[in-house]
Order: sequence, then structure tokens, then C-alpha cells
Amino acid sequence: MAITRRELITGIAKVGVPAAVAVTAGAEALKAETIPVPSAAVGLLYDATICIGCKACVAACAEANDTPPDTRGDALHQAPSDLNDLTRNVIKLYKPEDGSPFSFAKRQCMHCLDPACAAGCPFQALHKDAESGVVNWIADKCIGCRYCTITCPYHIPRFQWVGFNPRVTKCELCSHRLAKGLKPGCTSVCPTGAVIFGPRPVLLLDAKQRIKDHPGRYYQNRIYGEIDNGGTQALYLSHVPFEKLGLPELGAESVPARTLRWQRRFYQYFALPALLYAGLVQVIRKNLKGHEEEAHEREKATGLRAQL
Amino acid sequence: MSEAASNIKRDPINTRWERNVPVYGFPVVNGFFLGLSALVLVAFVLSAYRELAGLGPVSGMNDAYGWGIWKTFNLMVLTALGSGAFAVGIAAWVFRRKKLHSLMRMALLTSFLAYACGLLLLGIDAGRPWNFYWIVFPWRWNMHSPLAEVAICMSIYAMIPLAVENIPPVLERLWYFDSRLRPGVERFEKKLHYFYPWIIAAAYLLPGMHQSSLGALMLLAGERVHPLWQTPWLPVLYLGAATFMSFGCVAGTTMLCCLVWKRAMDMEVLDEAARITGWLIFGWLGLRLLDIVFRGALGTAFTFDRFAGVFWLEVLLISIGGFLLFRSLRTHDRQQMFVGYLLSSFGGMIYRFSPTTLAFRPNPEALYFPAGAEILVSLGFICLGIVGFLLAVKRLAILPAPLQDWHDMASYFRFRRPYIRWTGYFKYGHFGEDEKPEAATGSD
Repeated sequence: MAITRRELITGIAKVGVPAAVAVTAGAEALKAETIPVPSAAVGLLYDATICIGCKACVAACAEANDTPPDTRGDALHQAPSDLNDLTRNVIKLYKPEDGSPFSFAKRQCMHCLDPACAAGCPFQALHKDAESGVVNWIADKCIGCRYCTITCPYHIPRFQWVGFNPRVTKCELCSHRLAKGLKPGCTSVCPTGAVIFGPRPVLLLDAKQRIKDHPGRYYQNRIYGEIDNGGTQALYLSHVPFEKLGLPELGAESVPARTLRWQRRFYQYFALPALLYAGLVQVIRKNLKGHEEEAHEREKATGLRAQL
Repeated sequence: MSEAASNIKRDPINTRWERNVPVYGFPVVNGFFLGLSALVLVAFVLSAYRELAGLGPVSGMNDAYGWGIWKTFNLMVLTALGSGAFAVGIAAWVFRRKKLHSLMRMALLTSFLAYACGLLLLGIDAGRPWNFYWIVFPWRWNMHSPLAEVAICMSIYAMIPLAVENIPPVLERLWYFDSRLRPGVERFEKKLHYFYPWIIAAAYLLPGMHQSSLGALMLLAGERVHPLWQTPWLPVLYLGAATFMSFGCVAGTTMLCCLVWKRAMDMEVLDEAARITGWLIFGWLGLRLLDIVFRGALGTAFTFDRFAGVFWLEVLLISIGGFLLFRSLRTHDRQQMFVGYLLSSFGGMIYRFSPTTLAFRPNPEALYFPAGAEILVSLGFICLGIVGFLLAVKRLAILPAPLQDWHDMASYFRFRRPYIRWTGYFKYGHFGEDEKPEAATGSD
């Protein structure tokens, strides 16, 4: 046993010194890690105080994305109750029982600056565009693991449960329309301008101006998405608490940055696992030799072939 | 001589496991085996239907609970039970608990079967499995994703180190099967031994990585996992649970096999395993409770809801299991030891199942209960593992036994049922053709 302990300690020392160096080096690289705002970040600004709940954006979204209208509710109207495999954009109603102010809520992808779905996606099927910052789904890379439906703090990506070739449905900010110089479907039809499209900095200025113009109208005089969850490209203004619109209070740090800090540090450049591996090989080499010798002694003693 | 020796009544406490011996004298195909095979067949048919119809028609998964039991139970829970190659292996090979070497083949086999069946089901659970080919392009991996870590690391582990570690019993069978194969087998074994340290080291590094990453999966879910489970220590706790659960699985299965096929038990080995498991259990429980206390989540354990219920059930099962294991060391009561393994492993299974399912609250009205077909497929893939296990222990030298059992097996096939050739072990005599039987039987 004494040998084991000594070996273990020397083994740990052999591994530990370079490991410590690697960790500190990795940690410094991570400290500099800030969430970059894409150069041409575009986004949506939704003002819940203006929205009249006409759902024109829901129909326009389906039309723009070439999806059939979701009439599964009553087999007649396009009235999805929530996002689903045919619905990238939905208008929901928040109506409290006690008669206090109600609000409509438009739900679609927030296009986070540091998206949790893309952080979890194993083969980068969910990919944040470096320029526009739109989070796109790439069919050729998706294995259908549905981890995005678990990780997204806003519960946006939806999986198609029926069919042999299922797709993940989420708002991709009508990337195909943007490429043609058109606005996203939902913003092109909104009659009251409750949802508008534009570069993120412009939208932020606009929202701040609205807050300045109407003091006391907006909840906490705050724009949801300016810093929440590390910043999002879909921005929200509301007169009811954001949580009621399905936007949880997540703090300024993005979900992946907050939760995967150690995971990222451990696998930085794969340095730590590689060092651990080298240490393990050393220990096992030594132990294997002893074990083989014992086995061959037993072979001689019993006359039966050694079992390793 | 060997017949006389086999008549000596065995001392149940002082038998030593010295050699792995196949289970002989029992047919492979019996009612139980056929029943399991039928369930496997049902699962295969249903999974073929799933490939055509999609996940919705065969499962209870929905938008809120995107993951069903195929992932959360068959993969995340059962591979914890199948971490024996990792936990028992590290104890035996790195920490030199030499007695545990006799359990190694059991550990390697159960691990391989658990991982293989889990990964097969993962392929069926994935909605677009044809895109798995990205796994061979490392520059396409998302290296910081816990799921990529799990998927890649698990498949590599099961396909290379774990599979290679399971080759020696197969080679041994070939060696005994036909003397003409021996030079080839020996050459291959020599090559294999050359690479062994690297393979074994990988077999400890990779499970350490992916068993902890399985815990890291639910970190990204944040608040939706109940505070009793959601902690930055999830990866460590998942790995820890895998260690004591797999000890329970390996030692418990071995005990069960000894009971079923009337083998002698080596209490020195089992005591050693029980002692290690006990310490692992209480170390893990300590870490778990300390974490809950320091995060200030202890209050939620005393509210009257299903989460607190699950938590107490899990903690009680694990601690009673650990207590029974420690007690069995003093009383030498095998029943107690077996129940200890059973309870602690079951508690561990509840723990591993909780963050993804039992304690996962995507929204207040969301519900998930597996559909009938989903349960059948899940069960079928567990049965596939058991079928593989039964086949392996009856054809390969997996189960540990006293040396005398090897000689008993020899005489069984020589004298009692000489027409049975298919175990292969004694076609040419059990010492090799050119050795005299007396020389060997005289030495034990």
C-alpha cells in the first residue's frame, strides 16, 4: 500500500504541475472572453403597450416561411395556442384574474447574443451568424437530439414529433427575406408598429426614446434584452412584468456563460484531459507489469492458462 | 481425482475466487431466454415503426419534455449502472485493490452491454440519426457542448476501449476451441498487451469525462430543474453516483449469478467491494447534503410536495443501502449485503433520473408519462442487454469461481456429457493436447 500512495503522489505531481499551468493559462483566456455583438446585428423591437393582438404577424410569418397554416386547434382557423412545429411566431394573451392590466405577448426566437441552444448543440446545427447575429437552424447538421428544446431559457425551438424527417422549428428572422432586402414577415404587416425591425443599436435608441417620452408607462422603465441573458437581439417593452410575457429574469450574465464556466475551462484546448491521460498511462503501465507477472506465476502453479 | 475433489463439501466463507469459469450445465435457450428475446423483437419492430412514423406516435414526449425515458433512463441511468469498467477498474488497476481483479470481467461485460444498448437506443431516439456522420469530423464538433462531449466520448469509449477490453475472454475461448488457432491467438494477444496501458487509461479517462458531462447537460436548463438537484456540482455528483451504483451493479449481479447458478462466493472479494461501496456512498451523500446546505436549498426539502418526496426517497434508499453494506461487513450476512447493493443502486437510479425528468419543471402545466410503446422499446433494449449477458456468461469465462470449478467443468464435459461440444473449452482436453492431465490435477 505504501508504494501505491507514493506512486499516486508522484503521479499527481507529474500531472499536477503542467495541469496547473494549463488551467491558469486557460483561465486567463476565458477572462477575456466577452460576448461579442455581431457587426451588423439586426433585431426586433416588440412594444406590448401598442400591440392589439390582431395576429396578422402570425399569418404573415407562416406565409413568409412557406409553412401551412396550423389549423389543428379547431380545423378551421389558424389559431395555434403556442409555438409548435408549424408556428415560429405566436401572439399570446396574458389576462390576470383580478382585472389588473392585461397584455398581449409576441413569442419568437430572442436571437440571444450568447445563445444557450447553440452552446448546447453538439454539431453546430444551431448557428449564430457572425454578421447579422441571426440564430439559424441548419438541417444538414441536426441529429434531432432535442437538446435545444431543453436548454433554451425562453423555450423557443420546437421539434416536429410526427414524420420520419423531423425538423426543428424556430424563428430565423426570415433570413431568406433579409438576403433579398426585405423585412421579416411579422414586421412587414404589423398595423400598429408594435413590432419593428432594424439594426439592434437603432432599436435600442428607439426604445430608450419611448421610455423617455412616456415615463411611468413601461415596466421598470427597462428594455428586456438590452443586457438580460447577456443581451438579446429581440427587444421587449412592456407595461406588465416581463415574466408574465414568458421572459424570465435571468440576470445580466448569459445562461451558457453562467452554467458552463467550469465545463468550458476543463476542456479548454483539451489540455487537462490529455495530461490526466498521460498520468493514467504511467500508473497503469507499472501496475499491468506486476499483474502479468502474478498471472504467469499462477499459471505455473495451477497448470491452467493465465486469465488476464 | 477430480471427481473425488468435487465431492468435498465447500466451506462457504473460505472459498476463494481464483479463476473465471463459464456457466456450464445450463442450456442457453430456456423459457426466460425466449421471453426476453420476444421482448427484444417487439422493441425492434416498434423502433422500425418509429423510424417511419416519427417520435410522436410511439412516445409520450412533447414540446415541454423533449427528452423521454429512452434518453433519461436507458442512457443516463443505465450507463451509470454500467460504469463498472470505470469504477471497479480504477479501484483494481489504479488503486491496486487486487482482490477486485476477479470481478473485472463481470464489470467489463456489464459495462459494455449497458453502453451498447444505451447507445443503440440513443440512435433510435435521435430524430435525424443520419446526420450522426458529423461525428467523424472533429472540426465540426461543438467542443464546449456537454451533449457533444457525451455523444462523442460515449461512442468512442464503447466502440474502442470497452470493446477491446472485452476481447480477452473471446480469445481465450478460441484458444481452447481449436489447437490450430492457438499460435494466431497468442500472436494477437501479444499485440493487444502492447497497447493495453493506453487502452485501459482511455477506458478510465473517457467515462470520467462523459459521466460527469451527463450531469453538465442539465446545467443549461437552469431554474427549470428543482433547486434540490440543480447545482454547479451536478457533474461531480453524477460521476460519484455512477461509481457507487456500478459497484452495486457488478457485485450485486455477481452475487445474483452465484445464487442462480449455485456458485461459491468469495467473501473476501465481496467484503472489499462492499467496503469501498460504503465509503463511496457516504462520501457522495456528504457532498450532496453539504452542497444543498451551502446553496441554501435545504428549506425546499421540508415542503410537502413531490420533489421533497423524491428527494427523501432517494436519500433514504441510498443511506439505508450504505448502512446495510457496512453492517454486512460485520455480520457476514450476504442477504444484507445484496439488499444493501439493491437499495443503494436503486436510490442512485432515482437520483440520476431526477434532474431530467422527476425534478424537471419546464412549465407548471407540463406533464410527461411514457407511452406504452415507449416503455416496451425501453424494456426491449434492457432485455437485449440481459440476453447478451446470459449468452456471454454461458459461453465465455466471465463469472469468477474457485479453481475447483474449472476442474469440475472439465470432468463434467469429459465424463458426464461428452457429446456436448459447443462450450468449446474441452474439445481437446483442458490443458492443451500435449500436457498430461495428471500433472495439472495433482497440483491443486
